Amino acid sequence: MRQSMAWIHGWLGLLAGWILFAMFVTGTASYFRPEITRWMQPEYRPRPVGNAEAARTAVAWLQKNAPHDEQWTIYLPNERTLATRVFTRARPSPDPKAPRAPRRPETRLDPATGVPVEARETRGGEFFYRFHFQLQLPHPWGRWLAGLCAMFMLGAILSGVITHKRIFADFFTLRWSKGRRSWLDAHNVSAVLALPYHAMITYTGLITLVVMYTPWPILANYAQPAVFSASLYADTASQKASGQPGRLADIGRLVEAASAEWQGARVSRVIIGNPDDASSTVTLLRSSDDRLNARSASITYAGVSGERLSASPAPGPAIETAGVMLGLHLGWFAGPLLRWVCFLLGLTGCAMVATGLVLWAVKRRKPGAKPFFGLSLVDRLNIGAIACLPAGMAAFLLANRLLPPMLAGRADLEVSAMFWTWFGLAGLSLLRPARRAWIEMLTLSALLFAAIPMVDLVTIGGGAFDGFFLAFDGTMVLLAVVLGFAAWRLARRPVDAARPRRRVSLAVSEVREAMDVA
Amino acid sequence: MASAQDAGRGWSMAGRCLTALVGGYAAAAGLATLLARLLPVARVEATAWGMILSFLFYAAFGLWAFHEPRLARVASVIWGSAIVTGGAALLLGVRP
Repeated sequence: MRQSMAWIHGWLGLLAGWILFAMFVTGTASYFRPEITRWMQPEYRPRPVGNAEAARTAVAWLQKNAPHDEQWTIYLPNERTLATRVFTRARPSPDPKAPRAPRRPETRLDPATGVPVEARETRGGEFFYRFHFQLQLPHPWGRWLAGLCAMFMLGAILSGVITHKRIFADFFTLRWSKGRRSWLDAHNVSAVLALPYHAMITYTGLITLVVMYTPWPILANYAQPAVFSASLYADTASQKASGQPGRLADIGRLVEAASAEWQGARVSRVIIGNPDDASSTVTLLRSSDDRLNARSASITYAGVSGERLSASPAPGPAIETAGVMLGLHLGWFAGPLLRWVCFLLGLTGCAMVATGLVLWAVKRRKPGAKPFFGLSLVDRLNIGAIACLPAGMAAFLLANRLLPPMLAGRADLEVSAMFWTWFGLAGLSLLRPARRAWIEMLTLSALLFAAIPMVDLVTIGGGAFDGFFLAFDGTMVLLAVVLGFAAWRLARRPVDAARPRRRVSLAVSEVREAMDVA
Repeated sequence: MASAQDAGRGWSMAGRCLTALVGGYAAAAGLATLLARLLPVARVEATAWGMILSFLFYAAFGLWAFHEPRLARVASVIWGSAIVTGGAALLLGVRP
């Protein structure tokens, strides 16, 4: 059992490892999605207003700019997200064969004034978040690939646990500077230490897109699949427009009413169906940042009269479970301290995938022998994925400060900066011997992260600085230190082939190691 | 590494991978769907249980496909489960 599981663990981990590493790194960064966006728009400092007021200003802007659309969605701001985000969906064309109208792009509004945010154009933290499950591929291929990799991860975790016979002892075992042993220990420590977290984040990640990955149970129980989602939320999209014009009641009053009904909990989202029609509906969703369940309650009001129509039913155990799984993955419930713990656990996930990938190569390397093609390929892909991706992410943040704030199309240029740096460095690293390439690329990544606070200081200037920017820049320095430490350890380590101990190692210990490493 | 060697190379390994990836998905989807259809709880609850458990089924089928040395057994159990559960779900039709 253990041997077959060790074998499958190695291959599952290798085949999905590079993409999983990128998913883990950008996903971990996404715990700070609103903060990254805030850092990337330093000139935007809005006056905070209440929820009801933010809803009023957003509706006023939508009534001016998209009055006849079929549906408006408004994400209200909170302490972390400073701007109101609005989406609208156009009315479907009368032709029944025409595809459903797409959601129009997001507009970010100032909560106090209700005008679009005037700040440098950027994708912000949203970019890392989207990348971590869409992989910058056309829809739906990125999500399918991410799902496949997550499935491989789940298989690797389960087979890894079965492989691992001394799961408790390895908790405390980290032998530095022992070549292959150290990589195995590092892999075990990073994996075992946070095992519940890894298993949780992988499974709940799959759950976030379960309706896309496994829609079949819905088809077995519902003749019309839309009824399933309608039974979770009070769905406004299914309401038919009457054709008579109507004017929305004061949205702020509805927000306050819903908040009162939820014992003061905030409204996080407002969905308005047929906003210019006499039969318009307003659905308010409860904020989930004070509870684990991210699939929150909702109340629907008649848009014109403001009469309370319905509320989402209390969820049963399965729906509650799914909601909590979603909440655990998103981590919105976490306050600042817990969010940092989640971030560190995410980093152990990155370390687990990275050390696992390195271990795959290290344990197949024969001292003194020329590496076979597959091994060189894995080595090179490891360098490109592990050592060069951080440089790309640093370049994304640096481009935000270095590109002129008013430049047209700068948001896309920031994204290009990340991919050109990442893949460009991966290409360049081919010109160097593998060991040198590891050290140099990690050093370069460290230097780029260390450059972020300096460039920030030079381009934004000291006047605009406050605690938030200091904390963000301090984190960049810490990341630079971690990457620099990795480069330094590698540079200090003796070259594998030059180590006599490996070649004379006793047959017995070799067999034991082979059993462990398998 | 006995089972890895038994798994053989080339076509046999390709067949095993295909069975694990595609057959495993089909069997897990079939099992989840049948569970969702037959669980004697509310419609929405049964649907959610099926969806929540589907990935566990998939992982179990996938790992077992590489654990069991006899490919014929792997293929017959996994594709067989897919056909039986999927067929049963189709015959039962949508929950009335």
